Amino acid sequence: MKTRTLVLSLSASSQSRPAFRRRPGLPHLAGAGGLAILVSLSILAAWPSGLAPYDPTLTVGRPLQKPNPEFRLGTNDIGQDLLSELIWGTRISLGTGLIVATLAVVIGTAVGLAAGYTNNLFSGILMRLADLTLVLPFLPLVILLSAYLGPSQRNVILILTLVSWAGPARLIRAQVLSLVNERFVEAARAMGADRVRILIDHILPGVASIAGLQFVLVAASSILAEASLSFLGLGNPTAKSWGVMLYFARASGAFLGESWRWWVLPAGVMITLSVLSLVLIGFALEQRFEPGARGRWNLLRRGS
Amino acid sequence: MSRRWVRRILEYGVTLFAAVSINFLLPRAMPGDPLALIAGDAVRQMGAERIAQLRSAYGLDRPLIEQYALYLGRLARGDLGTSYRYSGGRTVIQVLADRFTWTFFLVTVSLALAALAGSALGVWAALRRGRSGDLGLLTVIFTLKSIPPFWLAMILIPIFAVNLGWLPSGDSYSIPRPTGLAGVTDVLRHAVLPMGVLTLSYLPTSFAVMRSTMSSVLGADYIRTARAKGLRRGLVILRHAMRNALLPVVTSLSLDFGQLLGGVTLIETVFNYRGLGGMMFEAVKSRDYPLLQGGFLLFTLGVLGVNLLTDWLYPRLDPRLREQPA
Repeated sequence: MKTRTLVLSLSASSQSRPAFRRRPGLPHLAGAGGLAILVSLSILAAWPSGLAPYDPTLTVGRPLQKPNPEFRLGTNDIGQDLLSELIWGTRISLGTGLIVATLAVVIGTAVGLAAGYTNNLFSGILMRLADLTLVLPFLPLVILLSAYLGPSQRNVILILTLVSWAGPARLIRAQVLSLVNERFVEAARAMGADRVRILIDHILPGVASIAGLQFVLVAASSILAEASLSFLGLGNPTAKSWGVMLYFARASGAFLGESWRWWVLPAGVMITLSVLSLVLIGFALEQRFEPGARGRWNLLRRGS
Repeated sequence: MSRRWVRRILEYGVTLFAAVSINFLLPRAMPGDPLALIAGDAVRQMGAERIAQLRSAYGLDRPLIEQYALYLGRLARGDLGTSYRYSGGRTVIQVLADRFTWTFFLVTVSLALAALAGSALGVWAALRRGRSGDLGLLTVIFTLKSIPPFWLAMILIPIFAVNLGWLPSGDSYSIPRPTGLAGVTDVLRHAVLPMGVLTLSYLPTSFAVMRSTMSSVLGADYIRTARAKGLRRGLVILRHAMRNALLPVVTSLSLDFGQLLGGVTLIETVFNYRGLGGMMFEAVKSRDYPLLQGGFLLFTLGVLGVNLLTDWLYPRLDPRLREQPA
């Protein structure tokens, strides 16, 4: 398999064009903006019961109402409040993304460290597995797996983790491989530090920034992937995620009438905002940790 | 054939083998009757005789390794099973062949458009690196990448198809299907929206790669030399810089092809387009497992095909990568 060594970045190659240096505030601005969006969304996710006017699982009014003072975004085909659905959806969509990102980065880091630091058959097999995961068509594979495993939130998380660990693993392995040949690691070895000590004191801090960046990027792509899966009817249909909202909107033909403006539009805006907040934070992190390096701007390269 | 190629083809073989094995193992590893998971929901409507016949055809009472041999044998003969429910008992190969053309049409045109437009924008941004035009475009691209493409499709349909009535809201052609030149324009009109969405969703990849490669190429010594020789700026950008920056765009698009293909599944679903993606959705809905597996296999073959093509194309695009005669 072709290794993904060709990683290109949005960041400037700093010596050639110093334009970005004149605007040191840009990554900060992007990061702050992303963080602000993420914090607002997190408040919705943390306290939906206080902010949502109704219980989104209950029929609270006539079905298919237009927005009115009672139901700010109208009601869906079975009379549930769309605004409440939207607010509760934050928890599921954001939560799924963060859980998948945590699992994928923990697994990816462990594999990357093991494969970069030891050179045996086992680590070789792990990396082949990572290559394989990266080359198989992402969404068709996910669809196939979910069709067999059945629709549930747990399975969505499981499947997305299964296809998301490989990217971080590859990048972290590459970083470890370049770190072990660094002078300071050599020095530590010469002074008699054992392998575990070197791993903890010298290698781990060196991969932390990549792991952090990958966490943000995997979270973003997982939110998109969860929405896609739910939209195809492969998520948990009883969970009120934004993708599920769009699934039901499509099923009842909402986008062919005028109700797309309050049923379809807001859910997509929420997805876009969540992903965008993470993309912006990722951009800021990348500029912070690897200014001018051939960074790993994977999110821009990974469709969903 | 050189050793490099032998190695490459071996690697592709391993990937294909893995995809086939996933197809083989998934239904057999799940709890429940494997036959129902291999043949799909259609089993429920079959008589006992037909079920027994299928069971022995798949060798479900024999050890796993023998089942695998049987499975590979069928595959080698091009037998991917029958799509029972959704396509009225046609073989999976027939359905796939039918559907493939539509997806191929959508994906190739959109990829080409995205590569061209993305590269052009990337060059434009690289020349203004850090200035307001660049930053504005960057913001747009970031947002574009964050938008779920299927949702974009869902809001373009009410605007362009329903309210304005400019374009059809779905399907690949009108029914009854017009013939002759009218048929061609009909197909093109139906393709505009799905292609537009797909192109927009592919755009960020080529833009990001072109922008970053271009800005590092522009700082290279040979560019300065070319300028110092007195060549015009436009000529230097076009002939000297862009030629070198094009290669990474091709590479990244081909490397990410597996990921990029995903979007087509959802977009075809929204537009009820008659391609492989729409087929996958229908297959999921009606638990048509043979069709689902066939679709996955064909998508994998598509990815491998594109990678192989890039490998072949590469030395032709870049003289530096041509193999030294041994």
